[in-house]
Amino acid sequence: MKKVLKPREREQLLGTTYAFPMGIWFTLFFTIPLSIIVLYSFLKRGLYGGVEWEFTLDAYRQMFNPSFAKVVIRTLWISIVATLGSILIAIPCGYAMAKSKYQTILLFLIIIPFWTNSLIRIYAWISILSTEGFINTLLIKMGILTEGVQLIYNNGAVVLVLIYMYLPFAILPLFTTIDKFDFALLDAARDLGATKLEAIVKVMFPNIKSGLSTAFIFTFIPIFGAYTVPLLVGGKDSTMIGNIIVDQVSKTRNWPLASAFSMVLTLISLVGVFWMLYNGKREQQQTKKTTQQSLELNIRRHHLRKVNSK
Amino acid sequence: MIKHQYNKKSKISFSSAMLYLTIIFLFVPLFVVVLFSFNDSKGMQWSHASLFWYKKLIFESPSLWSAFKNSLIIAFTSSITATFLGTLAAIGIKWYRFKGRNYITTISYLPMVLPEVIIGISMLIFFSAVRVRLGMFTIFAAHTTFNLPFVFMMVSARLDEFDYSTVEAARDLGANESQTLRKVIIPTIIPGVLSGFLMCITMSLEDFVITFFVSGPGSGTLPLYVYSMIRYGVSPVINALTFVMILGTMVIAFTFRRFLKTVAASS
Amino acid sequence: MKGVEIAVEQVSRAYGTFKALDDVSVTIHKGEFFSLLGPSGCGKTTLLRIIAGFDYPDTGTVEFDGKDILPLPPDKRQSNTVFQTYALFPHLTVYENVAFPLRLRRVEKEELDRKVREYIRLVQLEEHIDKKPSMLSGGQKQRVAIARALINEPSVLLLDEPLSALDAKLRQNLLIELDVIHDKVGITFIYVTHDQSEALSVSDRIAVMNKGKILQIGTPYEIYEAPATRFVAQFIGESNIFPCKVLACEPYGKEYMLTVDVPSLGGEVTVTDYDPSEIGAEVDFTVRPEKVRITPNPPKTTHTYMNSYKGVVDEPVYSGFQSKFYIRLDNEAKPIIKVFKQHTAFLDEGPEIEWRDTVYVSWTAADGYIVKETDR
Repeated sequence: MKKVLKPREREQLLGTTYAFPMGIWFTLFFTIPLSIIVLYSFLKRGLYGGVEWEFTLDAYRQMFNPSFAKVVIRTLWISIVATLGSILIAIPCGYAMAKSKYQTILLFLIIIPFWTNSLIRIYAWISILSTEGFINTLLIKMGILTEGVQLIYNNGAVVLVLIYMYLPFAILPLFTTIDKFDFALLDAARDLGATKLEAIVKVMFPNIKSGLSTAFIFTFIPIFGAYTVPLLVGGKDSTMIGNIIVDQVSKTRNWPLASAFSMVLTLISLVGVFWMLYNGKREQQQTKKTTQQSLELNIRRHHLRKVNSK
Repeated sequence: MIKHQYNKKSKISFSSAMLYLTIIFLFVPLFVVVLFSFNDSKGMQWSHASLFWYKKLIFESPSLWSAFKNSLIIAFTSSITATFLGTLAAIGIKWYRFKGRNYITTISYLPMVLPEVIIGISMLIFFSAVRVRLGMFTIFAAHTTFNLPFVFMMVSARLDEFDYSTVEAARDLGANESQTLRKVIIPTIIPGVLSGFLMCITMSLEDFVITFFVSGPGSGTLPLYVYSMIRYGVSPVINALTFVMILGTMVIAFTFRRFLKTVAASS
Repeated sequence: MKGVEIAVEQVSRAYGTFKALDDVSVTIHKGEFFSLLGPSGCGKTTLLRIIAGFDYPDTGTVEFDGKDILPLPPDKRQSNTVFQTYALFPHLTVYENVAFPLRLRRVEKEELDRKVREYIRLVQLEEHIDKKPSMLSGGQKQRVAIARALINEPSVLLLDEPLSALDAKLRQNLLIELDVIHDKVGITFIYVTHDQSEALSVSDRIAVMNKGKILQIGTPYEIYEAPATRFVAQFIGESNIFPCKVLACEPYGKEYMLTVDVPSLGGEVTVTDYDPSEIGAEVDFTVRPEKVRITPNPPKTTHTYMNSYKGVVDEPVYSGFQSKFYIRLDNEAKPIIKVFKQHTAFLDEGPEIEWRDTVYVSWTAADGYIVKETDR
């Protein structure tokens, strides 16, 4: 006779059957590799690549070596500038898209370039910015320049191309949240005496916080871990953490150091993701009532200030 | 009221001006590349229109096409594997409580949020630690890994719209577990599964960073080939390739959209 | 009589610390139309899902005709379910939805076609046979669900708030249809609902549930006229409920005549009850609003056991066929009494009663009742 399973045992069995193939795959090709990185970052470097089984914090100590520290700081500022640039462009874009009648077409227009291979998009910028590139050729032809100017292989080019690459990552989440925003609140704010800009900053921004944080994380994390863009359009002084990691693995063969840098990237990314999830959750918990209340409060405060200043 | 409308028509708002500029910004580089793919000479000096580089791309680039063949093999094998594993897992996670559920849920989102470099490096170090030779298999494994979260996410999203009572109804009406899966669950979530699959194909065809780390001799994919072209001697063949690839993705996307629409309409 | 007898014995089910079912026992007879009635979260759906096999008790047993069914998965039980959300298969037509159970059993083609059409006719959906569920209205969807659940010829049909997603008129019609179907197929129906009027109108018996417990099992008449607890009295229909103390209790025909002290009514009230009460017991006195008479003048009656009070109309609520009055009584506690007044033919109607009118409310001892379990 076939054994009859209790419902709870059945559930356990079924869940396991369905989910475990993926669980095993991830364990094998994600968890274990990532654990190896964690482990290697605490080991001594081998002479010809690889590691020796000896615990040490050398790798982390090396990170404070000035030449590396410079790269970390540069990575930070490039990432922040590029991310903020993307978001500043993305906010009005998301707003205009949310207000537009042609949302589907606009979405398509934003996404199509994004479907194109990333290397090809980088290549496009190389052919535009390089000394014999499109801009220089055009300017020379117009007689503005006599010989090509180096527009590429500098940090500016890196920031520009990074913004170009990750802009859709900022626009899409912002568009989704702004689209859900109740525009009547803006009218209400205007009605109560706020200027258009004040209404947007004081009423809309607090209500699209989750979109802003998602946009920030979606752009910041990949930019922070960028590898190809600084490699192809950056100059000597444009290396970022991603490039160090690759160099340490393939050229210098210092695996522990590469692992330590990977840990830094991983940790920063995880912190960012959890921050985003936390923000999203908190916004969900906020009821409509509190939004309404904070709106009223903001406007009342604003009025008081206006009255006082008179 | 009338004055207000007049105002609206008379000027384009700041935000929509930004939006149009952004769209132009997004398209200009691609447009320049496509334009010069029809240029007869090398470089950015326009001579006259010709299909020279397209001829070169199609008839004189055997290594590009073999890289493309590798790309296709990897894209299909890894997408099929990822779709299969991801779909089953999404079903299991959505509807059953079991030991290890939290672990699998968490781990299934991580590869999506970590920088590609990390995934690539960790796999490279892993493969060399366990002494697996880099080649088609390692690329396949890496691609399946970064594709899986997307299938899982898209199928889960589809399952969220799915009323669990229909599963209970099927069981109640006499279907056993596998009949329920085949006759009720799969037919209902198939649009999610297919869009997940298609997303995998595009991402797999497009990936460079991760592939860069785990590829071995003779297993180069198309993005790797493009990389070497950019790095070591740019040839306008890339321009021609760009246009072909843009057209390719558009065709896939539009046919798929239409296909999805018919599927959605029929269910 | 078709169907099975279902015996639920001491079933408990907890989700974490929340007790969904707390030691529930009930026997449902063969062929009965049995309702589980209660507010949301009372455990009625959990009990139904345990009977169907989608949930399982922590302790207790469930038997169909004396056979333990708990180890059986849903597909091996003699019950079929009609779901609140219809649970139609979105990718299949009406025909294929109804045919689903038969296809699973590989019923021969002609037999299958004959039966599917028969059941689609039973729920009057012949015109919609080739439509997909997305093209049907809510009522039509629920009919498909009913046909699909019945085609396997189950011994028990479990209905989980099947009408709650429909609008009021449609609900009435479908309810009557359900009753007709029940008479035709003759199997046991277990009907879960939070709507007392649904339960009262079609059930043979009702179990009223709250907080995981069954408070009362009885016919609709018993439940309405003799609620066992304060909760039942409040949940079924409307009630005026006042705490009181038993002062005297004497036999009165087959029943008992009680005198109780109701502080909020300002003194003694007479009321009949089926059972005797202890003198000094703290109980509740209740009278249904439709049993209270409202008159502009003091009621002319010689009835010994008449309770009559003077008050002012605090709020009249007109709703067409009847009016509801909130009367503030003229005593220290100033309690509010709800009164229903049916609007009848013009000549029988009597003088109009308006806001702020002084009125008299009255009822006989037989119209009030005592609730001993006060749930306090």
